[in-house]
Amino acid sequence: MTDPLALAPILPEQERRRLRFSDDVPQDERHRNFEAHIVAGGKVEPDDWMPDEYRQEVLRFVEMHANSELMGVLPERDWLLRAPTLKRKLALTAKVQDEVGHAQLLYRVAEDLGKPREAMFDDLLAGKTKFHNVFHYPTRSWADVGIIAWLVDAAAIVAQQALRDSSYGPYARTMRKICWEESVHIMHGRDVVVTLVTGTPAQRAMVQEALDRWWGPLMQMHGPRTPREKDRDLHWRIKAKSSEELRQEFLTIYVPRIRELGLHIPDSELRFDQVAGQWRYTEPDWDELRTVVTNHGPMSQERLAFRRLNREETRWVRETILGSPRVAA
Amino acid sequence: MADHTARTQPAETQTAQPAVNLEPYEVFRQEKDGDPMRHGGSVLAPDPTLAVHYARELYGRRQESVRLWVVRRGDIHLLEDPDLLQPPLDRSFKKPGGYVMRQKLEAARERAGQAKPKARER
Amino acid sequence: MTGRSSQDDQVDLSADPDPIAHAGSSQASGADESPTSPADPTADPVTAAALAELLLALADDDLVIGFSDSEWTGIAPILEEDVAMSSLAQDEIGHARAIYELLAALVGSDADRLAYDRPPEAYRHARLLDHARGDWAMTIARRYLFDTAKTVRLEALLGSSDRPLAELVAKIRREEVYHLLHVETWLDRLARTPGEARTRLLAALAVLEPDASSVLAPLAVEPILRGSGILSASSASLLNAWHARVGPTFARLDLPPLPKTVPDPAHARCEHGEPFRWLWGEFTSVRRLDPAATW
Repeated sequence: MTDPLALAPILPEQERRRLRFSDDVPQDERHRNFEAHIVAGGKVEPDDWMPDEYRQEVLRFVEMHANSELMGVLPERDWLLRAPTLKRKLALTAKVQDEVGHAQLLYRVAEDLGKPREAMFDDLLAGKTKFHNVFHYPTRSWADVGIIAWLVDAAAIVAQQALRDSSYGPYARTMRKICWEESVHIMHGRDVVVTLVTGTPAQRAMVQEALDRWWGPLMQMHGPRTPREKDRDLHWRIKAKSSEELRQEFLTIYVPRIRELGLHIPDSELRFDQVAGQWRYTEPDWDELRTVVTNHGPMSQERLAFRRLNREETRWVRETILGSPRVAA
Repeated sequence: MADHTARTQPAETQTAQPAVNLEPYEVFRQEKDGDPMRHGGSVLAPDPTLAVHYARELYGRRQESVRLWVVRRGDIHLLEDPDLLQPPLDRSFKKPGGYVMRQKLEAARERAGQAKPKARER
Repeated sequence: MTGRSSQDDQVDLSADPDPIAHAGSSQASGADESPTSPADPTADPVTAAALAELLLALADDDLVIGFSDSEWTGIAPILEEDVAMSSLAQDEIGHARAIYELLAALVGSDADRLAYDRPPEAYRHARLLDHARGDWAMTIARRYLFDTAKTVRLEALLGSSDRPLAELVAKIRREEVYHLLHVETWLDRLARTPGEARTRLLAALAVLEPDASSVLAPLAVEPILRGSGILSASSASLLNAWHARVGPTFARLDLPPLPKTVPDPAHARCEHGEPFRWLWGEFTSVRRLDPAATW
């Protein structure tokens, strides 16, 4: 008797998904199959076929993230030399090093999508691509170092944790590594802040003053509310949570932790609305955000100029020894 | 890292060629003794010596790895043809799930007048 | 110790210029020297003071090069190399910290006070490290000259009669192996790439060469260190060992041989120029806001 199984394909359809994106499938069917794959939680790898729109969206998203890590180095770098104890010196140097490392990881992801690193640097320094608002502001004191390492990194981690399941495989995996590494930064930042608030009156005042300056940019950091249905990054599952969800999550975790240190949050409207189940706050200044991320922030031009100068000073090393990368395979 | 990686004169610089290209090197890491090698990510480097140094930095500076493999991406051979890896015809005879015996076992026990044995003690 | 000072480069002359001689006597913390055993070379106060000078020189060397090279964090030629150079800088500061801890136990102080609370002229790092960071070639050249000398010095301390130092040196030396691999790789590439790379390397070496041997210059207390077995080799023999390692590499890379002049101990570690004063001003700036505060 013939075993009926011998003649029937018994493997489930989703295990043969790649055939649905092959060249002989009509273009719009290919697109539909891809969307269905994404919506069902499927992942995309660098060698996979993907719609141009998806590729461009992922690249744009990852590139901005990479740019932010690179530019984010600069506000803290000023304080590397000035760290007041050996332990703080080591911790801060390691933290800034991690940011450079994260830039490396993210630029690699973007490079493998087809854009060479030097082209991304060109665009960043020419102002064509952006980096996150918080890195356009000055750091004025050692307390800024604590506030940034604690709260700015915390706000970033809230966003990054939601990216660990991104539809683009390399980005999702990179985010998991980054989240693991970032957790140490937040502890370092919180330690600096707690040490200062339990220190001298001058130190306590330094922290409060820093918080007063950073609160506005922090609240703007996750961006304005966009309707879910209009958010292409959500559509493609590049990210999983909306701006407002991230902001609410940040407030829920960190407002109590800030207040327990006796620090005052400079927003008289800030309160948790029990009925609505969400935080109410003074509407962030979205004009400020727009101005800043288009490189008109207080330190935007100075930091871009610094990077341009530094890039020129080290150009000879790349042109002779480290070479320029071949176009990503 | 073996000493010879630094001592060996890199052939490509013996005649001092100026423009070397950066290439991706894939990094595989072992988290602890006995673990499999898992892909961590990649670094750009002009040659294997610096690739190994950079792999150590990006994937080992926190003492998070006990072993690294660093491989030039161009040297990796890729297989992802679904016809080879997920061919359509039945292969259930290669998997435990392809041997469903419950009904036959029940029939055999009934015929032999035997109860189902108790589950083995762990 | 220091009064209120502004954040610019004013040196507070009321600061204690010699914490080694005065620590333990002037500190109110009731610091005692660590308990000594009969075989402990530091049982003798003269030997202890000599060891303290040695530790200060070692730690200051690592601190200054670590701080200088940490400046590359965020701005190195490529991202991958940025992470690598930052690790090297952090390692040096880690070494400095460990040595300051040994010194702190010896003289009754703490590592941060030793590292931060001295005026610039009280630092005892080698002249080689007084130069500004410079370009990439300068950094590599200086690191190569420093790391090779440090390695030779560490090897001479492995068998030190001071056990805590010998144990620490063994650990530091294992980390230095990686440093040497990395900087030799770079020296090789710079030297053998014609054009701008080699030209810049030669220029850097020309600037650094007069101070290259300062790392291994003899300390005034060398006879005591040798007599007590803390140091197993003379500065002269260390310099020879260093030349024996660096010489063949320079010859192979067709670099001008390093002069074999004996460094002048009077100048090797005591006169610090503007680049270091600037660095000192930076790294003490937050601390000087309130040295008594906890940061």
